Amino acid sequence: MTMKRRSFLISTAGSLAGLVLLPRMAFAQKGRIDWYTAADSNILDFWANTIKPAFEKANAGTTINLVDAGNDAGIKAIAERALAAMQTKTDPHADYFEAGYPRLPKGAIEAGLYVNMKTAGLSNYSKVNPLAIDSDYSLPYRGSQVLLAYDTTKLSPADAPKSWDALVKWIKAHPGQFVYNRPDKGGSGGNFVRRAIHQANGLDPKAFTIDNYSKAKADIALGKAWKLLQDIAPSLYDGGAYSSGNTQSIQLLAQGVVTMTPVWSDQVLQAIAQGVLPETTGLVQLQDLALCGGFDRAIVLSNGINRDAALKLANFVLTEEIQTAILTKLGGFPGVSWDYVSPALRKKFADIVPHSIPTFPSGDWSDAVNDGWYRNVAPNLQRKA
Amino acid sequence: MAQAGSIVSPDEGNEKQPLGLLLVAIPVLLIVWLVIWPIISAVIDTLWRSDGHGHVGFDASSYVFFFTDTYSLNNLALTLWTTGICAALLLICCLPIALYLRFGRGRITGYVQTLAILPLFVPSIILAYAFIRVLGPNGFYDIVLHGLGLPKLRTPYLTPWGPVIGLVWDNIPLTVLILLSGLGSVKDQAVEAARDVGANRLQVLRHIIMPTISNSILVALSFAVLGIFSAFTLPYLLGPASPEMMGPFMQRTFDDVNDPVAAVTQAVISFAFCILFGLFYVRSVARNQGRQP
Repeated sequence: MTMKRRSFLISTAGSLAGLVLLPRMAFAQKGRIDWYTAADSNILDFWANTIKPAFEKANAGTTINLVDAGNDAGIKAIAERALAAMQTKTDPHADYFEAGYPRLPKGAIEAGLYVNMKTAGLSNYSKVNPLAIDSDYSLPYRGSQVLLAYDTTKLSPADAPKSWDALVKWIKAHPGQFVYNRPDKGGSGGNFVRRAIHQANGLDPKAFTIDNYSKAKADIALGKAWKLLQDIAPSLYDGGAYSSGNTQSIQLLAQGVVTMTPVWSDQVLQAIAQGVLPETTGLVQLQDLALCGGFDRAIVLSNGINRDAALKLANFVLTEEIQTAILTKLGGFPGVSWDYVSPALRKKFADIVPHSIPTFPSGDWSDAVNDGWYRNVAPNLQRKA
Repeated sequence: MAQAGSIVSPDEGNEKQPLGLLLVAIPVLLIVWLVIWPIISAVIDTLWRSDGHGHVGFDASSYVFFFTDTYSLNNLALTLWTTGICAALLLICCLPIALYLRFGRGRITGYVQTLAILPLFVPSIILAYAFIRVLGPNGFYDIVLHGLGLPKLRTPYLTPWGPVIGLVWDNIPLTVLILLSGLGSVKDQAVEAARDVGANRLQVLRHIIMPTISNSILVALSFAVLGIFSAFTLPYLLGPASPEMMGPFMQRTFDDVNDPVAAVTQAVISFAFCILFGLFYVRSVARNQGRQP
C-alpha cells in the first residue's frame, strides 16, 4: 500500500510540476529576470518574501520571475538547454541560477555560458568571504555549516567541548546523551562522520579531493575513522542508535532525550526561532577543526536577454540588507566576510562564526563513506547483546 | 441496441468477445508496460552486463555478492523476520476484532469499526512522527509511566520492534476488512446449529468459523505480507540503522552508495520472495473461483 501511494504521489507531483514549468519556460521578456532554484521551499519563500520585493523596489521596471527547477538535475537541464541555445544563438529563457555548479554541464565555462563574476565589475564582489569562493564563475551568497547544539540546562557553555578529543571524552562520560544521524540521511550526521574521517587522517581536509579516490586508499583512510566511531558507539543514545535524519536528531534534543547532537546552522537557528528548540539551546563549533559546511553560489548566464539586470541582482544579494536577512530570517551564513556584518549580529552569532569551513568531496569518496559506515559502524555488537 | 439485444443469434457470444478483450487489453497492456516489462528488464540488466571493457555477457556476480555478503543477508533476514512477526501479530490482533464486528450488536460495534478502519486514512509519515512522540523516548508513554511512579521502559524506537508496531497498526484496516468479508459467508444458522448440539465458543470457532474463512485469512495475510516486505517509510523512520529492511536498503544502495546494479539485484531478490507470497494469493483465488462456478 505504501509503495502504491508513494508512486502515485510522485507521478502526480511530477505531472503537476511539468504543467507548472512548461508555460513559464515559453516566454522570456526584457526586464523580467528568469530565475531558477533547486533549493527547498524555505529558500523560495525567502526570495519571494524578502529579496524579490526589495530588489524590485530598488530597481523600478525590473521584475524577477521565480521558478522552482525542482532539484540539481533540473538546474543542469536548464543549463544544458542554455548551452544549446548559445550554439544556435537563440534565447535560453534563463538568466539567473539561485545556486549551481559552474563545472556542469561539462564545457559550459569554456563555451562562455556563465558570466565571470570576478571580472563582471560587481561593486560588492570584494566583500565576498574568500573561504567561500570556489570558482570565478559562481558567486557565494549564503552558506551553512554543521555545528553542535546542546542543552545548556544540562551542560554549561563553559564546559561545552571545543575539540574532538574533548567531545569524545564528554560523550564517554555521559553515555546515552549524544546522537548523530545516519551519514547519508542528512548532512548533520554526515558531516560529523566526515569530521571523524578528518580526525583520523591528520586533520587535513585537503587530503580528500574529488579525483584522488581509490579503493585501497579509502580502505585505509576510512578504516581508521570507523575505529574512532566504533569506539564511541556504545556511549551514544540507546547504546549506539542512529537517528534517521537531521530533523529526527533535533527532535531527540527537543524532547530532552539527548543533551547534544550535530545540527545544520540554518536548521537550528530556525528551530530556535520557531520554538521547536528552547532558548536555552547552546551552539558550539569545534575549534581544532570545524565540522564541514558548504556555500550556495549564484550563477548568471551570459546569453540571457536580461544578463545585465541579473548581474545587478547578483550584486544586490551581497548588500548588507540582504546578507543580514540571510542571517536573521533564513538562519544561513552570510556569503560576505564577517567584517561586513553589523557588530551586534557578529557578537550574537560569535559561537558559530566559522574560522574555517572544511569540505569533503562528493562522488566516489561520499559513496564509500555511505557504504562503509553502514557496514562497519552501524551494526553494533554491544547493542545486540 | 435494444433491437440487437432482442434478436439472439447463436454467434452473439463470440461476436462480443473482441470488445471484451479490447476492454481488458488496456489494463493488461498497462501492467505489461509498467510492471512486467520493468521486472524482465531488471532481471536482464543484472544478469547480462558489460564488464567495463565493452564486452557484454552473462554475469551473475551481483547475485553471488548478495548471497555471500553477511551484511546483505542480515538485511534480508531482518525483512523476513519483520514480515513474519507482523503477519502473526496482525492475525492475533485482527481476528478478534473481525469476529466482534461480525457477531457483535449495538452502537459500540459501529465505533469499533470506525476505529479499526482509521489507520487507512493516516499517512505513514504522520504515523511515524506520532509514534515517536507517543512511544519514543521521553514521549507520552514515558510521561504517564513516570507520573505513576513506574520505571521507564526501553522504547522500541530505532530498534527492529519500531517498524513492527508501525506496520501492524498500518495494516489493521485492510486485514480486518478482508477477514470481515470472509466472515460474511459464515451462516448464523450454522453457528446456532453448532450451539444447539452443545458446542462451546472455542469449538464453534474451530469447527465452523475457521474452515469457512481460512481462504480469507490466506488472502489477508498475503496482502499484508506483500506490503510489509516492500515497506519503506516506517522501517526507515522507526527502524535501526542496521540491519535495515530491503526497502530502505534498496533506496540507499541506489541513491547514496550509487550502485544501481546492486540496488536492482536487491529488488529482483525482493521480488522473488514477494512472488512466492503472491502465488499463495493467486492459488487461493483460483481455488475459490473453482468452488463457485
